[in-house]
Amino acid sequence: MSDGPLIVQSDKTLLLDIDHPLSTECRRAIAPFAELERAPEHMHTYRLTNLGLWNARAAGHDAELVIDTLIKYSRYAVPHALLIDVAEQMSRYGRLRLEADPVHGLILVTTDTAVLEEVIRAKKIAPLLGIRIDQETIAVHPSQRGAIKQSLLRLGWPAEDFAGYVDGQAHPIFLKQEGWKIREYQEHAAEGFWHGGSGVVVLPCGAGKTIVGAAAMAHAQATTLILVTNTVAARQWRDELIKRTTLTEDEIGEYSGSKKEIRPVTIATYQVMTKKKNGVYSHLDLFDSHDWGLIIYDEVHLLPAPIFRFTADIQSRRRLGLTATLVREDGMEGEVFSLIGPKRFDVPWKEIEAQGYIAPAECIEVRVNLTEAERLAYATAEPEERYRYCATTRTKRDVVQELVSLHAKEQILVIGQYLDQLDDLGETLGAPVIQGSTPQREREELFQAFRTGEISCLVVSKVANFSIDLPEATIAIQVSGAFGSRQEEAQRLGRVLRPKADGRGARFYSVVSRDTIDQDFAQNRQRFLAEQGYSYTIIDSDDVFQGKI
Amino acid sequence: MEIRSFAEYLRSLDDLSLTALFQTRPELISPVPADIANLALRASSIPSLVRAVDSLNKWQLQLLEAAAVLNEPFTEKELLAVTDKSAKFALPALIERALVYEGGDGFRLPGNLREVLGTEIAGLGPISQKKLNLKELAEAPDASKKVLDAMVWGPPRGSVADVRKPNPGLAWLLERGFISPVSQQSVVLHREVAIALRGKKIHKELEITPPEITGKEVKAKAIQATAISNITTFLRWSEEVLNFWALQPPTALKAGGVGVRDLRDLALHLGLSEECTAFVIEVNYLAGLLTIDPDDRILPTHQFDLWLSYSASRKWEMLVSPWLITSRLSGLVNRDGSKSVTPMGPELDRSSAASIRTLVLDILQENQEITPDLQSLIAHAQWQRPYRRTGGIPAEYIEWVAREAEWLGLTGQGSLSSYGMALLTGADLDQVDSDLPKPVDHILIQSDNTAIAPGPLEHEVAQELDLIADIESRGAATVFRFTENSLRRGLDYGRTGEEILRFLKKSSKTPVPQPLEYMIGDISKKHGKLRVGNTSSFIRCEDNALITQIMKDKKVDALGLRRIAPEVLISSHDASDVINILRAANYLPAAEDSQGILLSGPRIARAQSKARPPRIIGEFEKPDEILLETALRTIRTGEKSTAKQSTLRNLSANELGALPRSTANETLDLLTKHILETPNKSLSIGYADNNGMVSHRIIDPLRISAGSLQARDHATGEVLTFRIPRITGVARL
Repeated sequence: MSDGPLIVQSDKTLLLDIDHPLSTECRRAIAPFAELERAPEHMHTYRLTNLGLWNARAAGHDAELVIDTLIKYSRYAVPHALLIDVAEQMSRYGRLRLEADPVHGLILVTTDTAVLEEVIRAKKIAPLLGIRIDQETIAVHPSQRGAIKQSLLRLGWPAEDFAGYVDGQAHPIFLKQEGWKIREYQEHAAEGFWHGGSGVVVLPCGAGKTIVGAAAMAHAQATTLILVTNTVAARQWRDELIKRTTLTEDEIGEYSGSKKEIRPVTIATYQVMTKKKNGVYSHLDLFDSHDWGLIIYDEVHLLPAPIFRFTADIQSRRRLGLTATLVREDGMEGEVFSLIGPKRFDVPWKEIEAQGYIAPAECIEVRVNLTEAERLAYATAEPEERYRYCATTRTKRDVVQELVSLHAKEQILVIGQYLDQLDDLGETLGAPVIQGSTPQREREELFQAFRTGEISCLVVSKVANFSIDLPEATIAIQVSGAFGSRQEEAQRLGRVLRPKADGRGARFYSVVSRDTIDQDFAQNRQRFLAEQGYSYTIIDSDDVFQGKI
Repeated sequence: MEIRSFAEYLRSLDDLSLTALFQTRPELISPVPADIANLALRASSIPSLVRAVDSLNKWQLQLLEAAAVLNEPFTEKELLAVTDKSAKFALPALIERALVYEGGDGFRLPGNLREVLGTEIAGLGPISQKKLNLKELAEAPDASKKVLDAMVWGPPRGSVADVRKPNPGLAWLLERGFISPVSQQSVVLHREVAIALRGKKIHKELEITPPEITGKEVKAKAIQATAISNITTFLRWSEEVLNFWALQPPTALKAGGVGVRDLRDLALHLGLSEECTAFVIEVNYLAGLLTIDPDDRILPTHQFDLWLSYSASRKWEMLVSPWLITSRLSGLVNRDGSKSVTPMGPELDRSSAASIRTLVLDILQENQEITPDLQSLIAHAQWQRPYRRTGGIPAEYIEWVAREAEWLGLTGQGSLSSYGMALLTGADLDQVDSDLPKPVDHILIQSDNTAIAPGPLEHEVAQELDLIADIESRGAATVFRFTENSLRRGLDYGRTGEEILRFLKKSSKTPVPQPLEYMIGDISKKHGKLRVGNTSSFIRCEDNALITQIMKDKKVDALGLRRIAPEVLISSHDASDVINILRAANYLPAAEDSQGILLSGPRIARAQSKARPPRIIGEFEKPDEILLETALRTIRTGEKSTAKQSTLRNLSANELGALPRSTANETLDLLTKHILETPNKSLSIGYADNNGMVSHRIIDPLRISAGSLQARDHATGEVLTFRIPRITGVARL
């Protein structure tokens, strides 16, 4: 029995002892086939999933290698049943292949006729198929490439896609490394993506996902469509691309509510893409308007449903998804993987933090005691009003005020869900409020003032959840949120993770009402970050007033 | 040479041969027979012969079948001629078991053996009554050859449309007596004909050697590693089951055994299949760690506490040993969705279970270097024990043994491990203890409220953690998660917040994260704020002074009042009793219903159940026409048969003057002879019923088997079984 760093559990989870000398080596060895599930401080949990095993097959790893790796690093005997299962699952991959055919366009070929017979009888698959060419081959409508892959995956017979990608219209793009250098993990991520063809790169907030996108574009050397969450993010992408690559302002177009430019590199917002006119998504044509060589989905965890559907139709174009938190409360992570592509790169947040690329952060949950009157009001509130009530109690305002005054010399963001509450806070703190209705120009002015230090405190609604680049913010105070959303919590922490010029750490306060559903939601919200190794300290609001923080 | 009887043959055996006989057929000496005559009787009795035949392998069985087909006495040469030369080496095994014996003039089979082997041995029909000219077979027309081809390898019976109008091919055969009609629609091929057509052989294929065991080779190291992990896992499962049920004991079904839902819950808890869960339950039940209490709850026994304190090897041995010898097959649970077969239930016994288990383990023991392919294992085992009557061991029984041996860790990757070997041979099991992963005594608590035990956890720590955390992942290591609920459970079991924290600090290698510490403090503060209890009645009064007065009043002491709030007293007595006692003590209580409404005056009592007036006896319902007609017909039929019976009885009584009398041996002789010679004649017998009353019966004997006579009784027209010792005598009519 070896004394390896890995413990293989019978329920297909792998526990990696990161304090073990071989842990880094082992992490690299298991990364191709195991999904990182949790990365707290001592033992990281990976999981063997069918999808992960198939992705490993797609990347050229065979079952023997997986089994050997498990046995090599395992501390205890590996459950035999698990090994058998791994071999069996991996052998399912590749029995069906999608290939390009000069006559029929796209064909589904099998090495195992029984499997083909099984799948063509499946209800979901039959309508996607064309004529039967011979015993082992059947035609597939080219536009159904994504749909058939998705359905086959669900049936448990994933198809290996040999049909390849279109190159798209060539356009020279190079990284311009002047005064900065691409980081090692960014390069790995871009290469991992390029090697795999399509896929998702998961990096913590503030770790420079834009650069990964730029590096991917440099690999593709082709016209690129970039989809982002909102206009502010679109402009940030544009600025960043002009700074980091050889692209000039004229080569980059913005396709948003206010502008409709289509250029070799076009940045469009999800919002405009999903806008309906007379019941149709008129802007989805953008996908076809150009021979794009690469499509980048920023914040892919927010990908709206219509784009999902459309993405299924463009399987021959290379797709890159970028996100910090691939958790969707709607449980559609699987769809992201099957339509955009498998996870190509994922690294625990704490590891990037250790490398100094994101600021170390301290998370603090402040528990506020409701007053007797508030408790009574909460107890009698209608169930659907309860969260709103306890999340916006007056008592929170005093605590926020105290926290702001404690950090008077720092750049502070106060983030919340409910506009009344935010307006109230803005007034109390004497700080400007940014919300959905704030005009674009005003938003940018305020952000700029915040960056320069002119304003030290901003009150923001969920518009600032994503993609807002505010490097100097060191304190975030969350007063309310979208119920138990794990990714929102992580994204909000992400606002203060950009490394600070003076290497200072960041602080993330979450103000929560004690003994209410606010507290239950908070617990759920914190799960993602806790699994990434962020430890919340819980304090009472009295401690804040006594300055004990 | 003089012909010897079976008993004489046995008498002639030396001690060595008799010992060998007893070893192969232990039932012959349990209990020990009085003398050789008795031994011979037992050795040729059907139950004993059945056991002996069942212990033969396929080749031995084929040889015995061939011997049974030959005319007695036969020589070794004759037997070899119809089988194979190597039969020479298999014959001694049959002789050793006294299934074939040297009768002085050649080999003979003990009585009843042919009956045990069945009526159509090796698919051969009866011998023809007349002399056949077998040479004619060669000249058979094509149509007849077709018929013969279809029947030659058995079954010897065939059905035809009408024997009286045979087709030409059949007619040719019937004419020459090669085939004889059995009934109007069926015919039978005679034995001599079939043997001649089979080329003077009996069997189509002789299975002289067992099918080879195939499989892939496995490294001994891998086998050991897997086996030890299986052993660890099985011990863990057992502990889990027992601990789980100690907390929430399920109730056994009325018919005994664990209900489907409890089984499913447990399977879910363990993360195992229901089959495997049922097996774990059964093994623990067999080992006496689990039992059904008189109140029908299924609970771990005190033995479990002892078991926990033993070394791993001893724990393991305690579980495996009863499994080796049990006749219960847990694989039968839930098979084909049959809900009535449950673990710990009454329907799992199969008499062959233990011998099949031994057989499979023996095969594994002989093929230690490979992981046998299941199909080849089944084929081999079925060759070893062809079980003539049931058509071989069911394949699934063999599969179950292999599967269970793997779960138990006797095997690793399907191949017998050295631990399994040691256990089967009774050797020392220390190796198990030394090869088990060393238990760890610490956990690692992480900021996401999980704790990881990076190896098998020491028992005390594991038990304590089980109380305060939920298990999220099992295996060599265990992942625990602390939640509000799990911590509350710990508090429910009497731990305090400080105790939990102290325990965690002591057992964790890493500091306890602040949020967890906070959560423990928070929950222990809130725990028990609400109190719930049982009570029968309450007294409430807004007048505090009156409440105090009642509390102090000696006259109402009997109520055992407890003050749970300034204005509320509770009593474990019924409300009406409380009211009566209070009234007797000169208070003026009023009753209140569950809604708090004052009840005015006593309610008029009404029964809760539906009315059930008593049945009326002594009167009969008026019969309807159908009933009348049926009754009439029954009586008429009965009358007829009685008349016939009495005529016959009168006849026999006249002839014999009394009930027939004969000794048991005479009875048997008479009956056997009668059945052989005049099968269709009626007999008169005296028969003692269960109470010893002897009655006179007129019967048509059909056959004798296993000490009983089967015959049609004229009185009822039914076929009944008469026990021969109870027949007082037989007389012909």
